[in-house]
Formats: sequence, structure tokens, C-alpha cells
Amino acid sequence: MQILAQLIVSGIAVGMIYGVIAFGYQLTFATSKTLNFGQGEALMLGSLVGWSLVAYTGYLIMLPVVLAFGLLQGAVVERLGVRQAIKTKSEAGWIMATIALGIIFRNLAENIWGRDALKFPSPLPEAPLSFMGVNVLPMELVIVVGALAMMLAVEVFNRRSIYGRAFVATAGDRDAAGLVGVNTSLVITFSYAMSSMAAAFAGVLIAPVTLTGASMGGVLGLKGFAVAIIGGLSSGFGVVVGGLILGITENLTGFYLSTGYKDVPGLLLLLLVLSLKPSGLFGKAAIKKV
Amino acid sequence: MLNSSLKALALAALAVFPFAISSPYYLHLLVVIMIYSVVTLGLDVVFGYTGEVSVGHAALFGIGAYTAGVLADSLGINFWWALPAGVIVAAGFGALLALPALRVTGPYLAMVTLAFGTIVQILINEMTFLTEGPLGIALKRPLVFDWRPFADVLPFLKMPAKKMADVQFYYIVVIALVLTLLVVSRLLASRFGRAFEALRDSPIACDCMGVSVYKHKVLAFVISAGFAGLGGVLFAYSELYIAPNNFGFDLSITFLLAVTMGGRKSRAGPIIGAAVVVFLPNLLADIQLFRIAAGIVAAVAVAGGAVHMFRKPEERGRIAIPVALCVAFFVFALYLERITDYKLTIFGLMILFVVYYLPDGIYGFVRQILPSQRLKHGIAGNEAAAWASAAPATGGEALLEVQQIVMQFGGLKALDRVDLSIRAGTVHGLIGPNGSGKSTMMNVLTGIYTPTAGSVVFLGSPVGGHTPSDIAGRGIARTFQNVQLFAELTLLENVMVGLHHTYKGGMAGAALCSPRERREELAARTRAAGLLRFVGLDGAAHEEARNLPYGKQRLLEIARALALDPKLLLLDEPAAGLTAPDIQDLMRIIRKIRDHGITMVLIEHHMDVVMSVCDTVSVLDFGQKIAEGTPGEVQRDEKVLSAYLGGSHATVAA
Repeated sequence: MQILAQLIVSGIAVGMIYGVIAFGYQLTFATSKTLNFGQGEALMLGSLVGWSLVAYTGYLIMLPVVLAFGLLQGAVVERLGVRQAIKTKSEAGWIMATIALGIIFRNLAENIWGRDALKFPSPLPEAPLSFMGVNVLPMELVIVVGALAMMLAVEVFNRRSIYGRAFVATAGDRDAAGLVGVNTSLVITFSYAMSSMAAAFAGVLIAPVTLTGASMGGVLGLKGFAVAIIGGLSSGFGVVVGGLILGITENLTGFYLSTGYKDVPGLLLLLLVLSLKPSGLFGKAAIKKV
Repeated sequence: MLNSSLKALALAALAVFPFAISSPYYLHLLVVIMIYSVVTLGLDVVFGYTGEVSVGHAALFGIGAYTAGVLADSLGINFWWALPAGVIVAAGFGALLALPALRVTGPYLAMVTLAFGTIVQILINEMTFLTEGPLGIALKRPLVFDWRPFADVLPFLKMPAKKMADVQFYYIVVIALVLTLLVVSRLLASRFGRAFEALRDSPIACDCMGVSVYKHKVLAFVISAGFAGLGGVLFAYSELYIAPNNFGFDLSITFLLAVTMGGRKSRAGPIIGAAVVVFLPNLLADIQLFRIAAGIVAAVAVAGGAVHMFRKPEERGRIAIPVALCVAFFVFALYLERITDYKLTIFGLMILFVVYYLPDGIYGFVRQILPSQRLKHGIAGNEAAAWASAAPATGGEALLEVQQIVMQFGGLKALDRVDLSIRAGTVHGLIGPNGSGKSTMMNVLTGIYTPTAGSVVFLGSPVGGHTPSDIAGRGIARTFQNVQLFAELTLLENVMVGLHHTYKGGMAGAALCSPRERREELAARTRAAGLLRFVGLDGAAHEEARNLPYGKQRLLEIARALALDPKLLLLDEPAAGLTAPDIQDLMRIIRKIRDHGITMVLIEHHMDVVMSVCDTVSVLDFGQKIAEGTPGEVQRDEKVLSAYLGGSHATVAA
């Protein structure tokens, strides 16, 4: 019983990271029906930039710099990989271009930071806290709080500020938003910037618990896909629940079956959800317009 | 003519190649190119034709290879049985992925296949009891027959046993490639290929022609997975050793790059692309070779750009960017010291370049320069051939009963408890101001919307819960208010998509080009020509639909809908945007359709059309039916007058 509780608790932290990545997919999917296949690399870059800075600047200065870097990186991805494809309405175009950018980013990171995993110094004590026999790392608590705060901040921004309203309007109907004077292509660029910022933030959050390195992104990006589909590409609440479901299931599989099979339930859950409820557990089915 | 002699020449070159070139290295290289071609030709069916992106073809390829490997390793089953087994297993996995992933539109297939690719690699690594895990599996090359006894008579057959096996395997791969080419070409030329293209141009029209978009997308993916499996089996026996990291994410991207770079929607393109990507690692391994290649690319770009600029000076800015990029890339190649570190960056840059500046691929680029050989002339259609055995109007009975239909979108009731009864053999007008719910009614009748409440009964059985393609198959055809043609298909092909239901032969027949398939294709072609003749478009039968003027596009939609042999035809504002003479034609066509026993529902704003061709008219306003009767009665109805004119007493007249 205690083991089960332990597995669930440590699954929650990983799950929240998956949730933040999936949240990033949602942001760009809402505005442009596209998403960044190199999102895992955005996370990796954020994490590595943070690693390079933290020794000199400390955590408080490193964090805003990483967020700013994420914004910039996302904007670059949109400009280079997505904009043209949206214009020509080519689905293959943006998928291949964002994959290509992801490959390039990973290769550049390998050349800058090397191929080996790096230890990210933890800002908090690394000794676990014990609640009724269940161990929790202080950093895991920070991950949960940080991830929720990040998503909440973006939601509040979208609902309260005029820029956020432009975002929501573009998500609702891009053509109509354009007609009332919203610069929709700027909004799309901005959604990519925010999406990568969320990923970079997730990278800094998770790096102290795992390790960081050029190859950390690929699998995390995939897990984000699974969560986005399980929770629904249109439901903010869905990615949190989806992330938790996946994080906990993986931990249980890893423990009770074999760590080697840890990544398998993601795909199975994905296929299962698509077969039963294609719009995701919490997503709404879109109405076709003829 | 030129084309077929070119093909014969290529085939002859392939046949003599192993005896002309003695180097086993080049023989192996050519084998790998041909194996990749099998995969890319299959990938093109999904990626090029239906437009869905698969980022998991390396995994399907790997599944084919491991099927062969496991069969040989654990069960001692040989190459010949591995061939069908690999195809079937890979196709099965393809179905497993496609059935859920293609239920929704969007990038889901790409996401699912990407995840699948990673999982397959993990599973191959983990399932050591079956796959030997990271150690990999070694295989032995099959020998078809020992020809050394004949070497005395035919001296060119004289060679060591190993080379003989290599050469024989080479021929097996040649045969596999030729068969793949034949099957893919025939399938794509058949109604399946038309469906794949049609569903990309307009999924909704495709469904409403009784051609299920979902079903055909899944079919395309399963076929494609089968070819990936075939390639995998051949690959296993070509390399004689397979390990999990042979089938990673990078290979999936390589396949996609090959199809895009070679040229989508063609046979030559995927083969060209396969050749390029097989040479790519060699190119990227040697810095000198890489610099030379980059130099050649830059030189070609500058020369091509200069020619283009000379021809079209107004596009200067657009051309300058790729040319500058090519030159910059060459400079980068000169500066680069250790190429292996930046191999993936170069790979990524190539993908970006191809996606932006070579979207139609090398073959598309070449085709653009060469004169087009496509037929543009019309055909002689025979109107008598247009109609299936004409069922005379049954007269009077209700063909379609709509009862208490409610269609609610959020807080808006687009249809509010509407009843309609369409009598067989009549033209039933549906009119009302904009936003009154007419088109919503069309969408409910054709199954695009599922009504919130109420029932639709067609020919005595309820329509509710059926997909649009089922409903179309049962005899309800439609046209669209905002024209939904298959833009890149010819007029003839557009109509032939509507004739999809007339084929009874299966996919195997289409792939093998059976006599029955040929007969049915010819019959469909004749009927399509007849239908085009009926709407007066047979003069432009081989023109692409997007080149038609707007008014003619509406007529083409009617011809396409008639191809379904509908019992009920729904016309959604057929006269919108038509000139006065075109409207006269339209009215003549509508009357003729009725004479052939087809019942119609007509949504129209041109009151002269409605009043002169309709037997009954129903009027909708704000989702409710406010009047019904003969055109004359409706014209005098107070409620109708106020709905249209806001309460004034003017008459609704043309």
C-alpha cells in the first residue's frame, strides 16, 4: 500500500511536466491548428540554457532569462517552420518543418553542451521529506506548484488582458478575428512563443530531479502528445488530468512490469482514447461547417 | 511513346547491371535504393495522395524486417514465407494505428505514428525472448537455384557462390520493385486513387458521394504499411543482420524527405528521392565530396535563378532568397571542419529547404519545365448513357419524412420542430430568408449534422445514426451552397468519384487490373461522359475542375450528384452566381432530372426558378416552418410576405 502511494506521488510530479508540455501544444493548436513537433527540444534548450546560467547568476535571475529565451525560441520556430505552411495550408509542410527544426536544435545542443547527461544543481535540499512513510522530494512539490502556476498565469493573461483576448478571438475564429483588426499572424507567433516558454520553464523545473542533456527532449515531447490527445487538444483542465493519468500509469507499469516497458502505456492509452472518445477525455467535438 | 521506351530502357539496364558492374558495393547500394523505393512508393499513397503524414514508417519497415528475422531465427521459416508474413503483420499494425488515429481530422496520425515509432524500438529492445534485443538477428541469404552447372554454356554466369546469391537476391528485389510499381500505379489510377485525391480536396463532398473518407484513409494507410513491411523483409535479407537502431525516428524522417524531395504524387519521384537519401550518408561522410556537392547545388541554383529572373523579373525577391541560401550553404560547407558533428543539422536544413523551395520535389520541378502531356480536349459523351435503368416516379407517396426535427447549436435553435414530407417524383422547394435554417436542414438530411431531436425517415427506414457516406449510398445526393468540387481532378474524374458505387470488384481486382475492373472502369467512364454531356460540360471533360468558371462548377456538382443514382437529390442554391442564360439551362436540367424519376429538394433564392419548377414549397423562418403549399399559395401567404419583406403588403414576385 505504501509502495503504491509512493508510486502515485512520484508519478504526479512527472505527470505535471507532461501536462505543461501538452499545454504548450494546446496554445498553438488553438490559434493555428498546428503544433510544434520539436516541443521536446524547446524544453531541452530551456533546461540547458538554465544549466549554463545558474552557476553564475543564481536561480532568481536565471529563471526570467530562460523564460525570455523560450519566448524567442518559440517565435523563431513559428517564423521559420510554420508561417509559410499556414499560408499555403500545407499540413505536411509544418509537420516536417517543425520536425526539421527540432533535429537542428538537438544537433546544435549536442555540439554546444556535449552528448552526455548533465547534473542540474537543485535549488532545494535533495533529502526527501517523509509524509506517513511516503517520500516526497522538495523539488517535486515545486514542480507541481510551478506547473499549475504557469498554466494559471497564462489562462489569467488570456482572459484578462487585451492581448489575451486577441488570442482567444483568434482561437475562436481566425478569419473573423482578422476582420475586426486582430493581427492574427502575430497572435500565432505569440502563441508559439508562449508555448515554448512553457516548455522551457518545464525544462528548468524537471532538470534538478532527472538530469539534463541534449537528448532529454524527444521522449518528453512524445509524452506531451499522448497527454494532449488523452486530455483533449482543447481542454486546459484535460491536460492536467491527462498528465496525472499518464505519469502515474507509467510509474505503476515501471514498478510492477518492468522499467523497460515504462513508455508503452502512453501509446496504448492514446490509441484507447482515440478509439473511444476521439476528441479527448475532456475535449469538445468540433462542429463541421459546410 | 517516349515514356514506354524509357521504361523498357530502365528495365533492361536493371537486368544487365549485375553482370556489367562487378563491384559488390554498387550492387548492394542499388538493392538498398530499390528497397527504399518500395517503401517510399507506398508512403506516397498516404503522404502524397491523402495528405496524411506518417512519422512511423521506419517502425513499420522494422516490423517487416523483424517478422522475417524472428521467423527465421525462432522457427526456421524461410524467406519466401517471410515475404507475405511481413506484409500482413505490418499491414495489421498499420490498421491498429490508423483505425483510431484517423477518426478525427488533424495532425493525429502524425502524432500517433511518431509515438508508435518510439515504442516499437523500445519493444524490440525489450522483448529479448523474441527479438534478441539490442544484439540483433543475423539471417542467411536465400539461393533460388544453383546456376553454376550452366556456366560452361553461358560464361557470364560463372561466379563464386556468394556472388551468385547476391545477384539472385538483386533480381528478387528488382521484381519486388516492379510489382510494387505496377500495383501502386494501378491502384492509384483506379477508383481508389481517385477517392484518395478527392478526399483531400473536399472531404465533405467525398463523404456525400458515398465514398467514406475515413474508410479510404485507413485503406491508404494499411496499403502503405503493407509496402513498408515488404521493404522491411527485403531489407532484413539484404543486410543479413538487423538491430533495433536500424529503424529509428531518423529513418522515418528520411522516408518522408525522400518522397517530398523526389516529388509527391508520382512514381518517379519517390524512386528519385530514395536514390538521393541512400547516397546522402556517403555524401555527409566525406567533407570533400560534401563541399563539391554543395558547390554544384549552389551553381545550379545561381544558374537556374538567373534564368528564372530573366524570364520573370517581377519575382526577383522570391527567387533571390533560395539562391542566396544555396550559396550561403556552400560557404558554410567550406568553413565546416568536422562534418560528422553537424550531420543532423545539415539533414534538418535540407528538409527545411525542400519543404519551402521544392515542395513539388525534383520530379515536379522537372515536370514543370517539360511541356505538359496531359490531354485537354473534350470527349464525345452520349446523353443516353447517362442514366441508370430509369425508375419511373412512384408518384404521391412520401419518399422522405422529416418529423419534429430540432437542431440546436449551443443556445441557438437552427431548426425548431420542423416537419417536412417530400413526395416521390416532385420538386420540393425550400425557401426562407438567410439564416432561416435551410442549409442546416440539408446537413441534417445528409447526416453531416446529427439532429438534437426528431426523426428523418427515408424510404421507410430511419436515417438517424448513419454516416454521410451510408446515407449517400442509400440514395440521397446533394450539391453544396459553397461549391465543393475535387479541384485537382478533371471533370470526368469528379463525376467518376460519384460513380464509385457502381464498381462491384474489390481492391485486388483494381491492383491486378482484372477484366472485370477494366469493364467496370470503361462503363463508368462512358456514363460519366454521358452525365457531362447532360449538363453540357463534355467539351471540357479533361480540364481540371478548379479551372472551370463558377457557374459551370455548379453544373458539374449536379452531374456528380446524379452519378450516385440518387432517389432524392438535394440542390443547395444551384442558381447562385449563375447568369441569366445559365439559369434557363439550369431550369431545363432540373425538369429533365425530374422526368427521369428523381425527386428533388431545391433551396433557392431566385423566386422565378422556385415558382416555375417546384410542385410544393415550404418556407422556413428562424428555424420554424411558417408556410407550405403550392408556389401560388405560398406567394400569397401573409406570414411569408412579412418574413421576406418585414410586414409590407408587396407581393413576392420575381
